[in-house]
Amino acid sequence: MLSVEHVTFRYSRQGPDVLRGVNLELKPGEIGILLGRNGSGKTTLFQNILGILNPRSGSIRFEGEDLRKLSRAQRARRIAYVPQDIRFGALSVFDSVLMGRVAYFGMKAGREDYLAVERILRDMGLEAFAQRNVEELSGGERQKIAVARAMAQEPKLMVFDEPTGNLDIANEQQIITEAKRLAREKNIAILSSLHDLNRAMEFGDRFFFLKDGVVKYTGGKECFREDVLRDIFDINVKIAQVDGQPVILQKQEEML
Amino acid sequence: MDTAALLKKKNRKNNIVITGMALTVVVLAFGCLFAGSSRMSFRDCLDALLRTGTAANVRILWNIRVPRVLAAVIAGAGLAVSGLVMQTVLNNPMASPSTLGVSNAAVFGANLSIIVFAGGFLSTGNNLSNLTVGANPYATGAMAFAFAAVSTLLILGLCTVRSFSPNVVVLAGMAIGAVWTAATTILQFYATDVGISAAVVWNFGDLGRATYRTDAIMAGITGVGILFFLLISWRLNALLSGEAAAKTMGIRVEWLRFLVMLTASVITAVCVSFLGVIGFVGIICPHVTKRLLGQDHRVTIPVTALSGSILLLAADTFARSMGGGSALPVGAITSLLGAPFFLSIIFSRKENRRC
Repeated sequence: MLSVEHVTFRYSRQGPDVLRGVNLELKPGEIGILLGRNGSGKTTLFQNILGILNPRSGSIRFEGEDLRKLSRAQRARRIAYVPQDIRFGALSVFDSVLMGRVAYFGMKAGREDYLAVERILRDMGLEAFAQRNVEELSGGERQKIAVARAMAQEPKLMVFDEPTGNLDIANEQQIITEAKRLAREKNIAILSSLHDLNRAMEFGDRFFFLKDGVVKYTGGKECFREDVLRDIFDINVKIAQVDGQPVILQKQEEML
Repeated sequence: MDTAALLKKKNRKNNIVITGMALTVVVLAFGCLFAGSSRMSFRDCLDALLRTGTAANVRILWNIRVPRVLAAVIAGAGLAVSGLVMQTVLNNPMASPSTLGVSNAAVFGANLSIIVFAGGFLSTGNNLSNLTVGANPYATGAMAFAFAAVSTLLILGLCTVRSFSPNVVVLAGMAIGAVWTAATTILQFYATDVGISAAVVWNFGDLGRATYRTDAIMAGITGVGILFFLLISWRLNALLSGEAAAKTMGIRVEWLRFLVMLTASVITAVCVSFLGVIGFVGIICPHVTKRLLGQDHRVTIPVTALSGSILLLAADTFARSMGGGSALPVGAITSLLGAPFFLSIIFSRKENRRC
């Protein structure tokens, strides 16, 4: 569905390549996790896929269409974004979610837009918040509203940039479970970055390990090997089995 | 629980606020017709309004006060809304209608016309003066507008090179504004005493320069501008979530920013060219509105416009009543009246809305 081929990108003409020929393939309904150190190019890759930045070369196709040929509104109806730094204006929760429909209604929201928002709020258990001011909500709640806003775009792919960055462990679990549930129920593909490797293993179907602007390893859970993680993150880890599930542990003494 | 019902209730509340403010503007505008420096009694004003009073009073009312009150309503709304949308598209609470240096350019144009071309010629025309004295009474206004327009296009043109990054626009506006101010200073340095005083008087905003014709032009441009802003209010809302997020919601951010800057600058240029510099309306009104009612542009655009009208009407009436025979510059009074109110809102304990 999403296919990124040989994408390169640099921020300025003389600057270094931040993406150096990225290849990435995602199927409908699949949850893909992008892993890599800070500065490996995760956010840059996301912004290229979302059309916030334009690749220098290579192609990004979505369901066979060249994304660069689509208008912003057409793109917004296919791909939604939950950014790392979530901001809303001083709007009500209802209006903030309704905003996700702007690519459909343009000037004035119609009946079907209101119904869609009501449905999403009900589905995500956010009805009680509908008339609250988003600015009064906690980080976890705002994150959920951002997911609801992305859902209002009725996308086929949702891109999450560090969805759990500012959340406590309970909220982190909640948002990931919720995202996974929505993805499975509505057959929406997800592309997300995540720092916590164990969380990533639990969340994703397919993993992309990014280093120095290229995807070095791709695959399922079997990719989480000690040598791969050492190469990508420059850390020594041990993979233990707990209740038949692999758990990644950091080797403390060797970190020093 | 029922979202639709809650939504209706909220819309009704907003409609009440907007209608209430619109009524306030009408009542205040009507009331302002009765204030002025010519010592007309209430009875005189009423007679003049019904065209049954003395010829002089009828002329004062219909040729001076009515166009002046209309100018306050129109320019107040235009300047306040321009400030609001500039703040949104530039993501900068300090942005104002003059951010692109529009006012500075207009001042330079007017000064050039007054000092160099007309040797102290001041009038932009009013309904009383006989208009046959040589120069075109609109020359100064036209010149001010020409410079403001050129300056706006210059900056917007420059900024397309940098794909309209908000900070670039603000800084470029400051730089170009500084150039116009410097040029004005140099111009004034070489001016005669008469020229310089005429130029300085022009710089004070004065609603007394308004005529029916200038009011009509301002009303046309401001009306179209506000209608345009209302139509794009959802897009402006989306921009509140940040540039990147807005783009992924389908908004052509650079294009939107360009159109909004252009429209707001044209509204400002027209108002400033006809009336002189009227500061602070574009900062006070949007912030007070946002503080009290949140940031939904469907609400803030009409409310900001109406509050701009109210502020300018109040300031002008105050200016006309305090001048002791002549009117004080309204530009000074808007700040004098508005700033304390502004500060009280900003420092108030009501913290649930963010500017």
